[in-house]
Amino acid sequence: MWKIHEGSARHWMIRLLGVAVLAFVVVWIPTQMSSSRIGQVTDAFILMIAAMSLNLVLGFTGQISIGHSAFFGVGGYTAAILIKDHGWSPGYTFYVAAVVAFVVGCVVALPALRIRGIYLALVTLAVAVLFPTLVRWKKLAWLTEGSMGIDSVRYEDVPVWPILGELKGREGRAVFMFWLGLIIVIVTYLVCRGIVKSRFGRALVAIRDNETAAAVMGVNLTTTKVLVFGVSAALCALAGVLSTLKSGVITPDGQYVTLLGSIVFLLVMIVGGAGTLWGPIVGGLVYVLLDNTTRDIGTNDSGILGTLFGWADQSPATLILGLVLVIIMFAAPYGLVGLAKRLSRKVVVVIPRPAGTAKPS
Amino acid sequence: MSLLEVRQLTAGYGPVEVLHGIDLDVEQGEMVVILGANGAGKTTTMRAVSGMIPRSGSVMFDGVDITKTNAEKLVGMGIAHVPQGRGTFPDLTVLDNLRVGAYSRSADISGDIERWFEVFPRLAERRDQRAGSLSGGEQQMLAIARALMSHPKLLLCDEPSLGLAPLITQEVFEVLKKLNNDEGLSVLLVEQNANLALKVAKRVYLLETGSVVASGPAAEIASDDAIRKAYLGA
Amino acid sequence: MERFFQYLFDGLSLGSIYALLALGLVVVFRGTGHLNFAQGEMAMICTFVVWQFNDWGIPLVVSIILGMIVGFALGAGVEATIIRGVAKKSQAGVFVVSIALFLGLNSLAAMVWGNLPPEQLPGLFPDEPDDFQRIFGAVWRYEYIGVLAVALLLMGLLFLLFAKTKFGLAMRAVASNPESARLAGIPTGIVLASSWGIAGAMGALSGTLWGGIVGELNAGLMFTVFIYASAAATLGGFDSPGGAVVAGLAIGVGEQFLAGYFPGWIGQEMKLSAALLTIFVVLLIKPSGLFGSTKVERV
Ligand SMILES: Nc1ncnc2c1ncn2[C@@H]1O[C@H](COP(=O)(O)OP(=O)(O)OP(=O)(O)O)[C@@H](O)[C@H]1O
Ligand SMILES: [Mg+2]
Repeated sequence: MWKIHEGSARHWMIRLLGVAVLAFVVVWIPTQMSSSRIGQVTDAFILMIAAMSLNLVLGFTGQISIGHSAFFGVGGYTAAILIKDHGWSPGYTFYVAAVVAFVVGCVVALPALRIRGIYLALVTLAVAVLFPTLVRWKKLAWLTEGSMGIDSVRYEDVPVWPILGELKGREGRAVFMFWLGLIIVIVTYLVCRGIVKSRFGRALVAIRDNETAAAVMGVNLTTTKVLVFGVSAALCALAGVLSTLKSGVITPDGQYVTLLGSIVFLLVMIVGGAGTLWGPIVGGLVYVLLDNTTRDIGTNDSGILGTLFGWADQSPATLILGLVLVIIMFAAPYGLVGLAKRLSRKVVVVIPRPAGTAKPS
Repeated sequence: MSLLEVRQLTAGYGPVEVLHGIDLDVEQGEMVVILGANGAGKTTTMRAVSGMIPRSGSVMFDGVDITKTNAEKLVGMGIAHVPQGRGTFPDLTVLDNLRVGAYSRSADISGDIERWFEVFPRLAERRDQRAGSLSGGEQQMLAIARALMSHPKLLLCDEPSLGLAPLITQEVFEVLKKLNNDEGLSVLLVEQNANLALKVAKRVYLLETGSVVASGPAAEIASDDAIRKAYLGA
Repeated sequence: MERFFQYLFDGLSLGSIYALLALGLVVVFRGTGHLNFAQGEMAMICTFVVWQFNDWGIPLVVSIILGMIVGFALGAGVEATIIRGVAKKSQAGVFVVSIALFLGLNSLAAMVWGNLPPEQLPGLFPDEPDDFQRIFGAVWRYEYIGVLAVALLLMGLLFLLFAKTKFGLAMRAVASNPESARLAGIPTGIVLASSWGIAGAMGALSGTLWGGIVGELNAGLMFTVFIYASAAATLGGFDSPGGAVVAGLAIGVGEQFLAGYFPGWIGQEMKLSAALLTIFVVLLIKPSGLFGSTKVERV
């Protein structure tokens, strides 16, 4: 086993190495991969953002939410309506979507002040079910265009960012969406990190661990819960905007707008590692990889999988996904990041700075 | 041969070992008490004996090795355990609690129920009330009665006096003493009130951070000055 | 008045199906403290199994009983093999696993029965256009009467099991205090597996009844019913079997009234949302349902 001190030169070397590898991969993808692959990575970004937002509420504050697909949808629809009906430029819709979702999130948080555990789970589930039906409601069709959804809301011409060079056509848009997605991932990560390491973040964790004790310690439960739901909803809305701009349409049955979206966010978060900053990022990557590798199994009847699943009327992709999830939960009950932490501790131990010696900030 | 024979018992929670090799005996018809400070491992000992937590070493009961036997099976073999603090079923009525106590038996139990209602008249008055709505003392009586419904040979009783008024504690101890005298029920007792325990018990084990540090007849322990000072506060 | 009774009858019949599935959710929750997200999909699979047996020429009633046995085995098996193993390690893991089951079973049904022409599950009851009875001027179809009767009968039997049998006593004891239940000699493992099994069997019946009403089977058969059932369990109180039944019936009736009396604003497409909103309001006043005990905080 290898022991290093936090903040020592060696520790920084390791960190730098990690950043370098990441940076290499990040530059390699949009320049070397096909646009459909790049699109898949952007899909992973979308999931990462949504899962990070959920992580704030569930992983760090312990408030279960199966309703984040609604926040995702609020973001997507806000962007689509602004672009389509009001002729906004897509880039500005992110801010408005975040603000709208923040308000919606604060409202949804209100029941969380009184309702707990499984009841809160079901209330948020109801929110997820309500959102698409509301969008489809004929009394709101003037705004949402009902079950048809809103289309042609993508970037007509990709904005020119000098650093990226000139991006043209379908490929150019894919590359641009990749970078846009990456930026939002980083922003979301930094927001989450900032929150978690702050006083506010300690209040969240205190609520998760013991609500009564947190209240006794002077945490204002109402403000804290409402705020964290609001911020989380706003971040999730960013994912919704991104996804809408990427595909150019949003409908009430859209990929992550229904309850299924909430479920996927939850899976991504838990598989990656709930209550860890990197969990949702790892989870998003693994989920998209898994989804893309299993999707085609059984459709082309060759190899052992063909023999195994050739009889099936439908691709076994989802079944395999389910099986893999069960296996992951047996092997890594605290998510992949939790598992990685445990395993890496056998190789490298980072000795934290003695308390009180950190540089004043 | 003793009724209960524990040798080199180790047990704990997850990676933490709490008991470090305990030897302990309870003879047929004997009342034995375990004393020790908070966190010494008294409850853990009881739980390990009744199979509620993984254990190693050897536990013999009535001549049978029960080290690997499930907790569920032990009741049928004659061990009843009143856990510390929460030995009742709060959502069930008093009557149903007693019925659950006799789960391991198939005989008619109405006679038994009447018997415990006579011993604890307070329970009889509340027979259709939810156990959770009883007072702490009433719940403790119910927990004991519930355990006795299984006709045990050995009763493990973890701090029966917890939260009871001195008078009620007296009452509970008298019931235990009487069962021990009249029916030869063997009892392994954990008790904080050492003076009281030493009066009723025949032998004593003194536990300290998971090991037995002293044991012997109650009278001897009670008269040992060093022990008196350290544990009995007098 | 005629409309009133029409909505009432329809609502009671549909509500009894929700209640049946909700009761399954409650039995599981009381036993192991988990929300079984796959409850509806287990019911859906069992409904296909019933159809399959029936398609092989086995009489419908026998097929249903076989389907319920399969449902029991499925529920008990899942608890004993997967749920218990994961629960030891992490509670969040159990939720993921039940979602994984949800996805897996749904996919499995589509794989096995997906490309057949829409399956017609024969109704258990006469279902010709003139098979109905007029009560207070309202039409009550025999099928709907039958559904209500079968559902109520099964729920009645279940309550007898809870209240009058030794096994029911053991189930209640385990739900109340699992540790002391073990100390009393109750084989908690078997009891917990059985509660999942019972939920599975009830799901099979509710699926078959629902399939008979819908007529067509597909992998999405039980999804809405599952939402209704969760709503019923929430409204009634997640640890209260009686609450689940009352709430299931109430939601069934309530949504018919809402849809019937406000066709413009609510109508068929918004009735679920309206029901959910109502429950929302109730929960704000009673955070653990109408009949639930307040100690429930686990997920
Ligand atoms: N469920 C548990 N998980 C982990 N550690 C435990 C658990 N229960 C007890 N312990 C630890 O085991 C040790 C012994 O506990 P035990 O309950 O046996 O003490 P005790 O002698 O019964 O104390 P008391 O007089 O307070 O009841 C304590 O250090 C305690 O922290
Ligand atoms: Mg103790």
